[in-house]
Amino acid sequence: MTATTAKIAVRGVGKVFRTRDADRPFTALDGVDLDVREGEFLTLVGPSGCGKSTLLDLIGGLAAPTSGEILLDGEPVTGPGLDRGVVFQQYALFPWRTALANVAFGLEAKSVPRREREERARHHLGLVGLRGFEDRYPHELSGGMRQRVAIARSLAFDPDVLLMDEPFAALDAQTRESLQEELLGIWERTGKTIVFITHGIDEAVYLGQRVAVMTSRPGRIKQVIDVEFDSRTGDLRADPRFGEYRHRLWTLLRDEVAAAREQEVARVG
Amino acid sequence: MADTLTSPAAVSAPALERSRGGGIAARLGAFGKRSLAVALLLALWEILPRAGVVDRVFLPPLSEDLAAWADLLRSGELLEHTEASVARSLTGFGLAIVVAIPLGLLIGWYKPVAEFLSPVLELFRNTSAVALLPVFTLILGIGETSKIAFVLYACAWPILLNTISGVKTVDPLLVKSARSMGLPPARLFQKVLLPAAVPAIFTGVRLAGAYSILVLLFAEIVGAKAGLGYLINAAQSSFRIQDMYAGIITISVIGLLFNQLLVHLERRFSTWRTT
Repeated sequence: MTATTAKIAVRGVGKVFRTRDADRPFTALDGVDLDVREGEFLTLVGPSGCGKSTLLDLIGGLAAPTSGEILLDGEPVTGPGLDRGVVFQQYALFPWRTALANVAFGLEAKSVPRREREERARHHLGLVGLRGFEDRYPHELSGGMRQRVAIARSLAFDPDVLLMDEPFAALDAQTRESLQEELLGIWERTGKTIVFITHGIDEAVYLGQRVAVMTSRPGRIKQVIDVEFDSRTGDLRADPRFGEYRHRLWTLLRDEVAAAREQEVARVG
Repeated sequence: MADTLTSPAAVSAPALERSRGGGIAARLGAFGKRSLAVALLLALWEILPRAGVVDRVFLPPLSEDLAAWADLLRSGELLEHTEASVARSLTGFGLAIVVAIPLGLLIGWYKPVAEFLSPVLELFRNTSAVALLPVFTLILGIGETSKIAFVLYACAWPILLNTISGVKTVDPLLVKSARSMGLPPARLFQKVLLPAAVPAIFTGVRLAGAYSILVLLFAEIVGAKAGLGYLINAAQSSFRIQDMYAGIITISVIGLLFNQLLVHLERRFSTWRTT
């Protein structure tokens, strides 16, 4: 594979949902173009309702685009697969399974032998700092720990791509920061390609090597900003350039958020 | 990384307390309170007829009923009737489980089947099983078959309806999450829908357990040659009032024990559904 080939290529993708009112279909995405490079950490921001999650579903193969195509390693995406792992905001852990069994779930789907399954699940729970919590059920874990389990579950079956849909949005600020830091660490160690949806500008700048900004509905990619720091260690948020990036994103998003709000008012009113 | 290892441990302490600290003292207290009410009821049953507040011909004091119960036990009569009733109840109940769970899973899983059947289900579930007893007797006679079929019918509904709703109310995000890992429909069913529906299914089974005894008693009172319902009814019509109460006591104890057993099983299978 050449360096110019994108890991994920989104080409002119549109998604239209049918609604109860057949004459007024709902256009969520319209002409989305986006390339995600191999091993890249890309964050995706946009006003609420702009179709961020829809785009992630399409990349995950959970839904099919109405127009355009999505290529993964040059091959069109036709459905979900274990080459991509999805992490949801609401954790989506199986409540009847222990932390360990949750992490092993994807490995069962992959038909990994039992003994190896357990070993790998243990290893990945350790990777997210949950050694000693193997036998806990999700309801016995805090929100941050549940999300750690969910991340471990997605890492365990070793996908090339991690698709994360506002995974830290439901967590308190402190837990969120420590998980962000750990996710960066995991990304550096594993070299996964990560597409991370957020509505937090700070989070987008802190995590993303590049930040893709989406327009209000129908969602399109407005601009992609390269975020470059000399080093990601230390207190990145105190770096003056962090503030600059933050401000650029804020300016880009401001108009879109206003437009999204008007749409919402028009729809409800 | 140091922060990684310490932070979950810090969060876990309250989570652990919440889940494992049941409070044995509180439980004992609750048990005491409940037994107290029962003891009071039994005492009234003994005292009121003796004091002449109620007619002791129609409500003999508890001690006399218990003596009659002991006599029935010694003569073997009680055992014979209990056996007949329990065998019918369990057979009907067991068959209901075997029939209703798979059917409920099927209806809950396949939308077209559910849409097609739901009007019929609504109709039948609002028709009291008791109202249909004459139909069962008409078609299947007054023997064992009609009684077992009657219990089966009454027990099938709670199991069926709870199984359907159990499958239907599975968190769609869990299904989505499993689908994102490329699980084919059959394994999705086995690994997500079925385990998610287990607590609801058990609730149905527990309700059915109670029904299995209630409706059978009714069928036995209406027409049978053995069974506790028959004993109660026959004792009443031949004015063996103490025997009648002995039968009633037996059936309520059996019902209580059976329900306790099912509640216990239900808890065991749904420990994860605590929050």
